[in-house]
Amino acid sequence: MISSKRRKLDSMSTSINNVTEYSKTDECASDCSKVLMHAVLPDDLCEDTPLVEVYVDDISDRKNISKAVVAINSTFPVQELLHLKRVRNGKVLLFPKSICELSEVHQFLMKKGFDTSLLANNIQIVRVAKLPPKIKSQYEKVNKLWPCNFHSNKYLERLVTNSLFDENEMELHRKCMEIAIDVAKHAGNKYNSKKVGAVVFDPKLKSVVAIGYDLTNRNPCKHAAMVAIDNVAVTQNGGAWDKREQVIVNSLNTSGIPKDFEFLRDKYAKTISFGCHVSNDTDDCKAFEDGAYLCTNYYAYVTHEPCVMCAMALVHSRINKVFFGAKSKIGGLCTLCKAQTIKDLNHHYEVFCGLLERECINL
Amino acid sequence: MEIAFTYARDALRNQEVPVGCIFVYNNEIIAKGRNTVNETRNATRHAEMNCIDDVIAYCDEKSIESKYVFENVSIYVTVEPCIMCAAALYNLKIKQILFGCRNDRFGGQTVFDVSTVLNPVTDVKGGYRADEAMALLKEFYKGTNPSAPPSKVKIKSIDTKLV
Repeated sequence: MISSKRRKLDSMSTSINNVTEYSKTDECASDCSKVLMHAVLPDDLCEDTPLVEVYVDDISDRKNISKAVVAINSTFPVQELLHLKRVRNGKVLLFPKSICELSEVHQFLMKKGFDTSLLANNIQIVRVAKLPPKIKSQYEKVNKLWPCNFHSNKYLERLVTNSLFDENEMELHRKCMEIAIDVAKHAGNKYNSKKVGAVVFDPKLKSVVAIGYDLTNRNPCKHAAMVAIDNVAVTQNGGAWDKREQVIVNSLNTSGIPKDFEFLRDKYAKTISFGCHVSNDTDDCKAFEDGAYLCTNYYAYVTHEPCVMCAMALVHSRINKVFFGAKSKIGGLCTLCKAQTIKDLNHHYEVFCGLLERECINL
Repeated sequence: MEIAFTYARDALRNQEVPVGCIFVYNNEIIAKGRNTVNETRNATRHAEMNCIDDVIAYCDEKSIESKYVFENVSIYVTVEPCIMCAAALYNLKIKQILFGCRNDRFGGQTVFDVSTVLNPVTDVKGGYRADEAMALLKEFYKGTNPSAPPSKVKIKSIDTKLV
């Protein structure tokens, strides 16, 4: 009796060893050095699906497979593992190992009213997907361990495979970052400040709404992104740091772009316009209808990864996407944390890293 | 803290999120303020950020180094600073922060603990007059009658043990 138990335990440990080959990949998408520009993904998309140990037993007679599956599903459904198939190669998935000791499995099933004569009492422990896989690459790994349901999300697949944007869109992203780099250079020279630049862009209008640059030598909170956010506020008749009258150029409101940066309009005239919709109505409700509410639907391009303060400022401002070039050791989107993925927050934006990285690092 | 509360109430009267804040340096109030998010159309204009600007102006006027002032400032704020403000204040090496109620939506401790990534030197304590601070927030978010007795306002997530 003891020796047979021993054998079972041995076979159990081999099956565990077999699945340890399923190792964690180091290719986390937040490693910015490998490709030019890519999404910074939530941890649950760059890591493998977590696993859980479950008991599995052979079905004594292969003719009874469907009978056994129906019986186990009705007597003992496992709510948290509904993404898994119940049977594989004449083996049936019983329940998570945490529920009872191996020696008590059949007793446990009997108490639940399951006819254990359907099983061969050759219980093994197998590691399976604890949660439903979110992307194809995760699915392919866990499906080998135990068959698993998977519903592919096309948008997520494009994000993780770095195929969200076509070449025209990429060209536009690069242009916007070029502008941010020009802003960084011009402001850095003019104000003798750190060369960090930011551009807030309206993708619908294909137009630069506002720019920002580092002024931390005057005020420690005047990071480029914070200044850009305030300049967006200026276009909506607000702003705390700079109050400027509306300036209308080519029927667009360019008050988010300080006068010293008007040279950008000439430089990029061929591809990108400058300014945002003119809101004639000072009534707030009308302004909301225009879509001009904080940074809603806007993209931000920042030469350097925004810090934690700026990352959260962009959450408050309801920005749609953030692109940055160079990583920063105080960065809050990729390096220290991923502020855009904090689940309890009311707004989340997508982040792309490594856009014109070399040029941004060289600033 | 009572002065911070007068600014929070002023925010509520002006249809801003009711958060008030003061910065104290050498027993002197050098900055006081409230949220001005709607007024400025800038979602980052929290009471603390406005006070930081006040300190810069104060230091410019007196020709003193703001870095040193920030490192010796005590902040009294009616609501736990949000993630953005917590990061800003930790970066300035603020000496201490005393806040009222927790901030369930954006709190720099409650929603995401900024201290785990920024290693601050700032001493942070919360829970002082939390009930009043939370009652003000509830009034703002629910648009309830400001003169309703506070006992009827349900208050959750108050940790008075923190003080």
